Amino acid sequence: MTRDEIIETTKRFLSEEFEVEKDTIQAKNNLQKTLDLDSLDYVDLVVVIEENLGFKPTSEDFKAIDTFNDFYDLVEKKIN
Amino acid sequence: MLVNKENITQFIPQRAPFIMVDELAHADENGFTTQFKVENNNIFIEDNLLSESALTENIAQTCASGFGYLASLESDAEPKVGFIGAITRLKVTDLPKSNAQLTTKVEILTTFDAIHLVKGVVYENDKQLLECQMKIVLA
Repeated sequence: MTRDEIIETTKRFLSEEFEVEKDTIQAKNNLQKTLDLDSLDYVDLVVVIEENLGFKPTSEDFKAIDTFNDFYDLVEKKIN
Repeated sequence: MLVNKENITQFIPQRAPFIMVDELAHADENGFTTQFKVENNNIFIEDNLLSESALTENIAQTCASGFGYLASLESDAEPKVGFIGAITRLKVTDLPKSNAQLTTKVEILTTFDAIHLVKGVVYENDKQLLECQMKIVLA
């Protein structure tokens, strides 16, 4: 999966699951704030990532994620 | 049967008249199954029907008994206290009458740190009564 495909796929499933506009999911934006995640929401995030990208992120993975760009880096590392 | 009615309170924090499971029939890392008979004097009976709240509580106590039982296999320490973080995708099909015998099956969908996302379904015989997803937090 190319980075562009990762970005497009991510925008699709995150906007559907967390009911945000696709345009708000920008590389430099903060993932937690953009998706309005509380601690319980992370389990939903884990589920949709596993369903759509095929891997299960850990809490350690999320500690390294600030922006969507960080998330795309993680996905590239995990699936490629 | 893994835990009978006489011993179920060793694995759940609830006490009478708020106990909504009788027996733990099955428990492993994938999920749990309990049995529960709806007695005439159940506090959630209204117009001879057990309420949705009681069925939802039944799913929560199925989780409590299952997680508590599994924890007891690994340690003599007190079971962790569980909290319902969220209930979603609730679907009520029917309500049981008093004297109904219920079977509740819980599937652990995923676990993230101390949060377990589960799907619970309550059956009377083979008829589904209620289903929902719950986020259970063990503290």
